Amino acid sequence: MNTLASFYREREQAILGGGFILLLILAWQSVPSLISLPKGISLFFTTPVEVVKALYQLVVRNEIQSHVYVSAVEFVVGLGLAILVGLPLGLVTGRSKILDAMLDPFVTAFNATPRLVFLPLLILWLGIGIWSKIMIVFVGAVFPLLINTYEGVKNVDRVLVSVVRSFGASEWQTMKVVVLPNSVPYVIVGLRLAIGRALLGVVVGEFFGASKGLGFMIATAATNYKVDVVFVGVAIFMGISLILTMSVKRFESKLTRWRPEVAKTF
Amino acid sequence: MAYKEKLSEYRRPLVGAVSVVGLMFLWEFAFTYFIPLDPFFFTKPSLIAVAFKEQTLSGALWVDLAISSKAFLWGFSLAVIVGIPIGVFMGWRRRAEYVLDPFLTALYASPLVALAPLFIIFFGVGLTGKVALIFLLAVFPFVFNVFAGVKCTDRLLVNVVQSFGGKEKDIYFKVILPSILPYIVAGARIAIGRGIVGILVSEFYGASEGIGYAISRFGDTYRLPEMFAAIFLLMIVAVIFTEGLRKLEIILAPWKIGQEAR
Amino acid sequence: MATCIQAKDVSLTFRPKNREPVTALSALSLDVSKGEFVSIVGPSGCGKSTFLNILLGLIKPDTGVMQLNGSRITGPGQDRAMVFQEFGLLPWRTVLGNVELGLELKGVEVSVRRPRARELIEMAGLAGFESHYPHELSGGMKQRVGLARALATDPEVLLMDEPFAALDAQTRDLMQAELLQVWERTKKTVIFVTHSIEEAAYLSDRVVVMSARPGRTKTIIRINLPRPREYEMRLSAKFNEIKAEIWNALKEELMGKGAGNGI
Repeated sequence: MNTLASFYREREQAILGGGFILLLILAWQSVPSLISLPKGISLFFTTPVEVVKALYQLVVRNEIQSHVYVSAVEFVVGLGLAILVGLPLGLVTGRSKILDAMLDPFVTAFNATPRLVFLPLLILWLGIGIWSKIMIVFVGAVFPLLINTYEGVKNVDRVLVSVVRSFGASEWQTMKVVVLPNSVPYVIVGLRLAIGRALLGVVVGEFFGASKGLGFMIATAATNYKVDVVFVGVAIFMGISLILTMSVKRFESKLTRWRPEVAKTF
Repeated sequence: MAYKEKLSEYRRPLVGAVSVVGLMFLWEFAFTYFIPLDPFFFTKPSLIAVAFKEQTLSGALWVDLAISSKAFLWGFSLAVIVGIPIGVFMGWRRRAEYVLDPFLTALYASPLVALAPLFIIFFGVGLTGKVALIFLLAVFPFVFNVFAGVKCTDRLLVNVVQSFGGKEKDIYFKVILPSILPYIVAGARIAIGRGIVGILVSEFYGASEGIGYAISRFGDTYRLPEMFAAIFLLMIVAVIFTEGLRKLEIILAPWKIGQEAR
Repeated sequence: MATCIQAKDVSLTFRPKNREPVTALSALSLDVSKGEFVSIVGPSGCGKSTFLNILLGLIKPDTGVMQLNGSRITGPGQDRAMVFQEFGLLPWRTVLGNVELGLELKGVEVSVRRPRARELIEMAGLAGFESHYPHELSGGMKQRVGLARALATDPEVLLMDEPFAALDAQTRDLMQAELLQVWERTKKTVIFVTHSIEEAAYLSDRVVVMSARPGRTKTIIRINLPRPREYEMRLSAKFNEIKAEIWNALKEELMGKGAGNGI
């Protein structure tokens, strides 16, 4: 009996959290068996089991693979471009006061506005092919990366820089020894935020003006009242988002072990 | 000597303003004299300005903005009313945190906009659907920021209040609530962006009014100056609110030296 | 002299989740007379702060009795107030708002508590700073606010948990002198926890040396220095003898003669 109590005490967090989610899923599954839904609602209702079945069907009939592939390409290319552009720009604006002052109004304005607002423009320019989606992903993901890298570079401890300089380090050496290691945690946070934005970009980009991709699959399924397929898409996005975010977080905590705990603000 | 200090303080916004104005001039100049302007593809500041004047004077753009704002305010207010208590509850009671945190984190991390088509088809393209989607998107920043704020509450201050005989309600009102005010504002700042996404998604998808609809309609009809004008208007609104809240955050918590990733 | 505080066989064990239970106090007994100034010194982790918190009423002991003027302590009350090491001022309240806090929580109305708070602010030497916020004050000033706040409710007993540890040496000396002045004037019973032998010897009537964890009273040393204490007394041979006596009692505990983990 005591071992059960101590087992629970140790795992309380996981048990309560996981248990709650499990409970919700079970409750969701049992709704149609417990109440009879009015026609209007039952059209929009699905159960976890049906979602799994739909996923199975889509995989077996080879319908979902091309969508996943397209979305994946958009995500990877868009995020990759964002990293290639955002990181160097962040580094440079962090070190150069003038460049920072020059770019600041643009960065502030673009960061405050949801990048989604540019989607119709991007579709106008790039059509409904893969490039407009890649661009929306890029525009969404580049700003967290840029801003956080900038913060990381800017917030380097001046005392540390002086210390390194006093040993005769050049600008490049200072960068290598102090600035870059200091900014790594910030960059990782930026990456985590960028991943979320990138996924968002894929989803909304594919809602409007697309012919392929998971978002497109969700939108079409919704119009055809195939709610189970909709949830397949939602679940896949959720799953990817969770996996990626958790991996980055784990990486992040390893790399930021030397930092005092900062409040978690998203 | 003081004049030099003053100058460096204003230097940053000045350089910023100069580069914005400079870009505008460059843009206008380039497309008037050097690069042929394909009206179906691009536009230039002078045309945008004309379209802006026309749209705002005729009132069309304001009407659209008002319609979108109404849905936004409803959804946002609901997010505040629901999100903050949940955040406080989770932050103050450890069991609540254990139960709710994994579930809510999973939801927050996922692109909930993926549910947008479902919402729109279910609720229709009217106010309800928009408000529901905006609420869903905006509630999480409040929950999690307030949660973080409550957890960060200085336990020493709770002890102080208790040592003078303060009861649970005193702790809530005299320590927790004032402490989390800056976190609420930070949450609001993030929630605004997410709420606007909600507006745009609902209005791009199938609405017949609102600023998102306006932008998409202008795009469909290749009216680029109007489109840019509408986008700029939205940008200005977004910046005013976001930066305004940022300033508010600083005013509310001059004692906080926090570092924060945006 | 009348006994004010009586602790008899007080024990407390902490049981944190997922970890070994920790016995903080074990059969601790101590009597404090009314108006006495008693310091408590002891190795880190010996339970001094825990003892103060039990006196304050925030923690209940597992066994034993803690009494104030003959009645059992069951919770925080108006008769005791604490001054904290990290000050514990509400950052969003002005100096005035902070000093008022105790009275406010007791339900005293503004018209009564405000002038009283002002009085104490003046007594603490902070006149003119009523509308300042804690982050605008120096460490010494913050602790004066802490002291003013504690005195505002006119408690019988003042509990002080290493109140000057976060201050620089000079401010610390100043605050010690001011504290003694306040004490002479108000005649409160003071229980003062500190790591500094010198501070304990200089301020107190008696110094209690606690054993290492689990804590109990090991030695009680009476300080036979005249009052009011003067700074020069610290330089005298007699003072050094007293310090040596305290140190000898403390040394054994620090070297791990008692139970509990070593340094």
